[in-house]
Amino acid sequence: MSRECHISSLVVHSRPDRVQAISERIGLIEGAAVHGGAEAGKLIVTLETDTESQVVERINAIQLLDGVLAATLVFHHFEPVQERE
Amino acid sequence: MDLTRRTLLKTQAAAAAAAAANVTLPASAQNILTGEDLQLQWSKAPCRFCGTGCGVMVAVKDGKVVATHGDMQAEVNRGLNCVKGYFLSKIMYGSDRLTQPLMRMKNGQFAKDGEFQPVSWDQAFDEMAKHWKRVLKEKGPEAVGMFGSGQWTIWEGYVASKLMRAGFRTNNLDPNARHCMASAAVTFIRTFGMDEPMGCYDDFEHADAFVLWGSNMAEMHPILWTRVTDRRLSHPHVRIMTLSTYEHRTTDLSDMALIFKPNSDLAIMNYIANYIIQTGAVNREFVEKHCNFRLANTDIGYGLRPDNVLEQRAQHANDAQVSNASSFEDYAKLMSQYTVEKASELSGVPKERLEALAKLYADPKTKVMSLWTMGFNQHVRGVWANHMVYNLHLLTGKISEPGNSPFSLTGQPSACGTAREVGTFSHRLPADMQVNNPEHRKHAEEIWKLPHGLLPEKVGYHAVQQDRMLKDGKLNAYWIMCNNNLQTAPNTNNETYPGYRNPANFVVVSDAYPTVTAMAADLILPAAMWVEKEGAYGNAERRTHFWHQLVNAPGDARSDLWQLMEFSKRFTTDEVWPAQILDAHPEYKGKTLFDVLYANGEVNKFPLSEIDPAYENREAKAFGFYVQKGLFEEYASFGRGHGHDLAPFDTYHQVRGLRWPVVNGQETRWRYREGYDPYVEKGSGVQFYGNPDKKANIMGAPYEPPAESPDAEYDLWLVTGRVLEHWHSGSMTMRVPELYKAFSGAVLFMHPDDAAKRHLRRGQEVRIVSRRGEIRSRVETRGRNKVPPGLVFVPFFDASQLINKVTLDATDPISKQTDFKKCAVKVVAAATADAGDVQ
Repeated sequence: MSRECHISSLVVHSRPDRVQAISERIGLIEGAAVHGGAEAGKLIVTLETDTESQVVERINAIQLLDGVLAATLVFHHFEPVQERE
Repeated sequence: MDLTRRTLLKTQAAAAAAAAANVTLPASAQNILTGEDLQLQWSKAPCRFCGTGCGVMVAVKDGKVVATHGDMQAEVNRGLNCVKGYFLSKIMYGSDRLTQPLMRMKNGQFAKDGEFQPVSWDQAFDEMAKHWKRVLKEKGPEAVGMFGSGQWTIWEGYVASKLMRAGFRTNNLDPNARHCMASAAVTFIRTFGMDEPMGCYDDFEHADAFVLWGSNMAEMHPILWTRVTDRRLSHPHVRIMTLSTYEHRTTDLSDMALIFKPNSDLAIMNYIANYIIQTGAVNREFVEKHCNFRLANTDIGYGLRPDNVLEQRAQHANDAQVSNASSFEDYAKLMSQYTVEKASELSGVPKERLEALAKLYADPKTKVMSLWTMGFNQHVRGVWANHMVYNLHLLTGKISEPGNSPFSLTGQPSACGTAREVGTFSHRLPADMQVNNPEHRKHAEEIWKLPHGLLPEKVGYHAVQQDRMLKDGKLNAYWIMCNNNLQTAPNTNNETYPGYRNPANFVVVSDAYPTVTAMAADLILPAAMWVEKEGAYGNAERRTHFWHQLVNAPGDARSDLWQLMEFSKRFTTDEVWPAQILDAHPEYKGKTLFDVLYANGEVNKFPLSEIDPAYENREAKAFGFYVQKGLFEEYASFGRGHGHDLAPFDTYHQVRGLRWPVVNGQETRWRYREGYDPYVEKGSGVQFYGNPDKKANIMGAPYEPPAESPDAEYDLWLVTGRVLEHWHSGSMTMRVPELYKAFSGAVLFMHPDDAAKRHLRRGQEVRIVSRRGEIRSRVETRGRNKVPPGLVFVPFFDASQLINKVTLDATDPISKQTDFKKCAVKVVAAATADAGDVQ
C-alpha cells in the first residue's frame, strides 16, 4: 500500500483555567503542535500523521482531555508520499 | 511530498484554524497561502454529512479531491469543520467504490437467486423496465414504489417525485427521513400550518439557556455545539441543561443533566406546562392573540401491524391524528395532573432538578432555546413530544425572536431541503402541499403542465409500511436510492430483509458503495456522489446551499438525477397512464415520460451556455440542457409568493446559502414576527400565517407508556443511536460487510452493576436478545457513554452488528416514524448459548 501524509488543523476550545495544562498535554501527542491561541481559550493545533485513522484517534484523545469543551477540525489535506523520500 | 511542502501545508493549516477561531498567531504563521502555490483549485460546497449544513472549501488537484477546510465565509460554521467533515476528501475514493451496474445472473440472464455480475446500463435499465411494466400491468401503480433520501440533492428529490407521482401515478414514495424527522415535520404542520423552524442558528448567540431534549449535541452536531460553547464561555450567566436517558459527552459538559426513564419526557414537559400555569407565568396576551387550544385523541396505539394486540386494544389507533378544539381551562385541567411529584416518580429525575428546568422556561427574562433530534422524533409519541415543547414556548410567548427558539435539529444534509420542502413523503407535494387535497393536486398539475386528474390522491406507503408490503408481496417493483435501509429500518430480520428477497419482488438499489442493502438487492446501480455532480441541499435552518460538479464519478457511476431521468425514457404515456386521460388529452399520447415530465418546455428551458464554463456538468451534457437550473426554477414556482420563496438559481452559486423565504433578495431569519418576516402584516406583531386564522395550536396530550417495557424475561431497556466513532462504519466509509457475520466492532454499553449481576466481564462477548431477534456484541462498562442500571445502549451504525434485527417496528401512529429508542431486551453471555446457536 502506498504511504500517505495527512496534515490537518484544529481549534481546541478549552476551559480558561485548564488551557495551559491542555496545551502541554497536546504537545506530547505524536505529530501534534500547538501554534497559539491560549489567551482566547482556543488553541490552534496542527496534526501530521500517516493515516486518516490517526487523525481521528488524535482528535478523540484531545477531546477527552480534562477541560476540553470541543476539538474541531478546520483543515485537512492528504497526498501520497513518494517512495524516494 | 518534500519538507518545504509539508511546512507550507502546516502553515496554511494553522493559519486557517486561527482565522476560523478569530485568534492571532505569531507573525511566522499569519499568511494564508493561496491555492496557487500548492496547485490546488478551491471551490465551495456544503458538507455531505449532517443537517447542520457547514460550508467547506474543497480543493481539486488533477481531477481528484485532495483537501477540504471549513469555509470562513460560511455563516454556519465560520471556518470550522467536525471530524465527520474530515472524511469529505476521502469519501469518494474507497477501494470498493461501485463503478458499474451489477445484476444477479444465472446462465447469462437475470435470476433472483443468481450471483452479482457486471452489466451495462442498457442491460440494467432494460431488465428493470421489464419488471416495472409487468408489475404495472398485472397489479397497477400501487405495486410500484421508491425509498428515497434526505441526502438526495433538491433536484434529485424533485425528479423522483415527478416520476413516481405523475409518471407511474403512485404516491408510494417515501424518504429515509421518515426514520429521522417525520415527527418533527408533521408537528410543525399541525402546530403552525407550515413546516420547519421559525428561528435559525443566530439564536445560539442570543439565548440565555439551552435545553437539549435527548440530543447529544457535542458529538452529533459538534459545530453547532461550538457555538453553544462559545456563548456559554463568553456569557457566564448562560446555562446548558441536557435531558437524556443516559450520560454522554454532552451531559458531562452541561451545567445540569437530567437522566430520565424512557418515554417520561412527556410527563416532564407536561409538568413544566403545569408549573408555568400554576405560577402565573403564562403570557396571557400572547396566548389570547396568537394561540388556539386543542386536545389530542388519546390511547392511539403504536403503529404496529393491525393484527397486533396493542393495536386492537387501542381506542384510537385508526384516528390517532384527530384532535378537538378546546380551551385554556381544559388544557390547564389536563396539565394539573402533572405535579412535580408525579413527574419525578415517572421520570426518576430529582424534584429540584425538574423545578430548576421549569423555572428557566417560566422566567420571562430568560431566553430559552430548546433543541432536539432523534430522542424526540424516534418516539412512539414523537408528535406529542414535539407538540409539548412548542406548548412551553407558546404559553410563555418565547418564540420567533432572537434567542427564544424551539429548534428541531436534523440528521441528514437535506432532510429539510429535499425530503420536506420538495415533498418526497408519501403524503406530500412541494411547498407543504398534500396529495389528498384536490386543490393542491390541481395546482401541481398546472405547474407540471400535466392533464387534470393525473395525480393520484391516495396517500402512499410510508417507510415501515413499504417494508411490510414488500414482505406481504403487495409492493413488487421497488427502487431504493441514496440510503441504507436494511441497516437502519427497525426489526429488519422479520420485516425488511424478507421483502427484499421475496421472489415476487424486483429490488433495485442505487448507491456508491456495496452496503448491506445493496447486497440484498437484485440490481445495483453505481451512483455518483457529492461533488461528482452539481447539487443543492437545504439545512435545518431553512438554508438552501448549492455546489458545482468538481470532479467526475469513477467508471460508469452516474448521479441519481441521471438515473431517474434516463429511466423515464423507457416508458411511454400509453404504457403507464389510463386511456381515459389520454383520450381526453390526445396531445400527450405516444410520448415518453421523459418528454412529458422533463422536456416540458420548463425544465428544458435553459441552454447549456448558461452553465459556468469553469465547471463540468455531466447531466446537462447528457440531456442537452441545463437540467439543474430548469428543475430548480420549476420547483421554486411552487413556493414563490407563498412563504417559501427561493432566490433565483444563479444567486445560490454565488452565496453561502440563503434562508427562505427570500423576499426581494433578503433572507428571513425569524419567521412569524413583524420586523423580521415580510409576510407578517404591519401592526400585528406576530402571525402564524401557515394557519388560516394565523394562530398556532397548543395541543394537550397526556403521558402514555411505550409499546414495550422491560419485564421479568426481557429485563433491560435497549436504546440505539450513534456514537462518534461509528461514523466510521457508515456506508460511505464502510467496507464490504457480510450480512450475518459476527464481528466485534460496536459495543454494548452497560452499567457495571448490571454486568456484575449477570456475571459479565468488560469485553466479554454477549447475545442481545429481543422477541424479534438477536445479535452478538461485547460488553463495555466504561467510556463516555454511561448508562444507568436497567438500560443498555448499542450504536446502530456498525454493519457487522445489525442491532435493528433486535429493535421493534413500533412507530408514532401519527407521523409513522419508528421508535428506535426503546424496546425490551435481555443480555446473556454468548458462551451459555445452545450449541445449535453457535456459528
